[in-house]
Amino acid sequence: SIGPTAEPNDPFSTGNVSDPLSSGEDEDSDGDDFDVEQIDEQEIYDLISTISDPEHPLSLGELAVVNLPHIKVTDNQDRSVMSHVLVEITPTITHCSLATVIGLGIRVRLEQALPPRFRLDVRIREGTHSTADQVNKQLNDKERVAAACENESLMAVLRKMLETCK
Amino acid sequence: MRLKKITSLPPLSDRAWLSAPHPTLPLLATCSSNKTVQISSLRTFTPLSTIEGGHKRSIRSVAWKPNTGPQDNPESVLATGSFDATAGIWRRHEGQHEEHIHSHDHDDEYGRYGEEEEEEEEWRFAVVLDGHESEVKSVAWSAGGSFLATCSRDKSVWVWEEMDDDNFETIAVLQEHTQDVKCVKWHPEEELLASSSYDDTIRLYKEDVDDWACCAVLTGHTSTVWDIDFEKPKPSHGSAFSRLVSCSDDLTVRIWTRTSSSDSSSFINKPPSILRTNSIEEQWTETACLPAAHTRTIYSVSWCSSQPGRIVSCGGDGKLAVYEEFEVEAHEHGEKKKEWRIVAEVGGAHGVCEVNNVCWAKRWDKGKRFEGEDLVISTGDDGVVSFWELALE
Repeated sequence: SIGPTAEPNDPFSTGNVSDPLSSGEDEDSDGDDFDVEQIDEQEIYDLISTISDPEHPLSLGELAVVNLPHIKVTDNQDRSVMSHVLVEITPTITHCSLATVIGLGIRVRLEQALPPRFRLDVRIREGTHSTADQVNKQLNDKERVAAACENESLMAVLRKMLETCK
Repeated sequence: MRLKKITSLPPLSDRAWLSAPHPTLPLLATCSSNKTVQISSLRTFTPLSTIEGGHKRSIRSVAWKPNTGPQDNPESVLATGSFDATAGIWRRHEGQHEEHIHSHDHDDEYGRYGEEEEEEEEWRFAVVLDGHESEVKSVAWSAGGSFLATCSRDKSVWVWEEMDDDNFETIAVLQEHTQDVKCVKWHPEEELLASSSYDDTIRLYKEDVDDWACCAVLTGHTSTVWDIDFEKPKPSHGSAFSRLVSCSDDLTVRIWTRTSSSDSSSFINKPPSILRTNSIEEQWTETACLPAAHTRTIYSVSWCSSQPGRIVSCGGDGKLAVYEEFEVEAHEHGEKKKEWRIVAEVGGAHGVCEVNNVCWAKRWDKGKRFEGEDLVISTGDDGVVSFWELALE
């Protein structure tokens, strides 16, 4: 989970102390540290690199499906405004049939862990998958993602993938 | 102009998908991922009752049947579409409402509607409509209430007819789309059905002798078409004139105009009849692309019924945008032409959350500024339903 630990390379992270830049204007704050803490690429990487691959006994970080340079975070200083996370994944093989499940696992992990101000885009990194456009369209269709999350057998697979994140 | 928030309903515990105003009563139905439909008062902007127990998964869509019951025995009928692959029909008698409906102009009656409401008969889950293979995404009643349309991720659009009480029969299974069907809407006067899809197209259907068939395919969007809405017909336009608005993941809102139909010979630009192989075929042409207002997927679009040429849209960027059609002088020949402009916008309409649905509804509360005023109702991922008035300034 996202801890309040400060990353040495993150000038905005202030641990448990409220971010002075956002204090006083954060109307929606419920006292949760997440609301005031800047979120960066490393933090996103840490959240998703430990997800297990659905068919290998390895993590997405170990398989280089998830890579730090392919994560982009635009975290708005104003907490009342949406922020954005883009994750580009690199499937292990160009015809990987589980690319959608992996992408869904990343989406679910981030939706559960990040504050609601974040809009997520999970995409296949260009040139790394034969049906990238189809997979991208599915992964970013909120209705399909919502319905998938109510599908028990699919959620059982995702839960298993996310077990290693705790 | 400016969109000014009047108030909001207390947040539901989960994502709220869509709100539908009752065709004649001051009631609003909101469906959500918590498998319920909340009925609220548009007079007091307060929740009245919660309908639950009929669906096993998220209720994605809800639609009121146009009022058809006899005056002495009025009944409200709701259709729901759920991710559990079924549609539901719900009924409730509204008999005791009559007095209040007729006295709604008196300020001292204000509020009584809501109090009486809770003592009334419960909603009854009357029928389960089975048949779709996966999530039902949208449900819609035809103008006269004779037909119910449903659509699903299984790529099909079904048309149902109520033969007698609680006995619904499938009269058409339309499998024209190649992908997930997101939305179905009926023409406000004709028995003409439209559907929009993940396959980036919009398709129109009507009855041909004794079978329903596709009568037009509207192509142009470059990604999922999330929502569509027909313009409410204006007497000045003639009955044949019709327009449809659509919104898409491609970040555009487009207007489509019917340019020919076999039902009418009054069209200009009518193609030679030799080109017509299908007797029910209609020609629809993209006639406008509205000014860009959104930066993420546009989920919903609605055509104002009281004010001609006014549209509202919402999307994943949390924004609401109102557009109006203006008549402007074209530079050459002094001809008039139509142009759409954004007349009001509000960002962060649901805080940092996405807005899933937007619609216009008749205004019933005591703040109503003039007869025939419409308000905007937005429904968001924060579980909130908000009410907005269009303020002139």
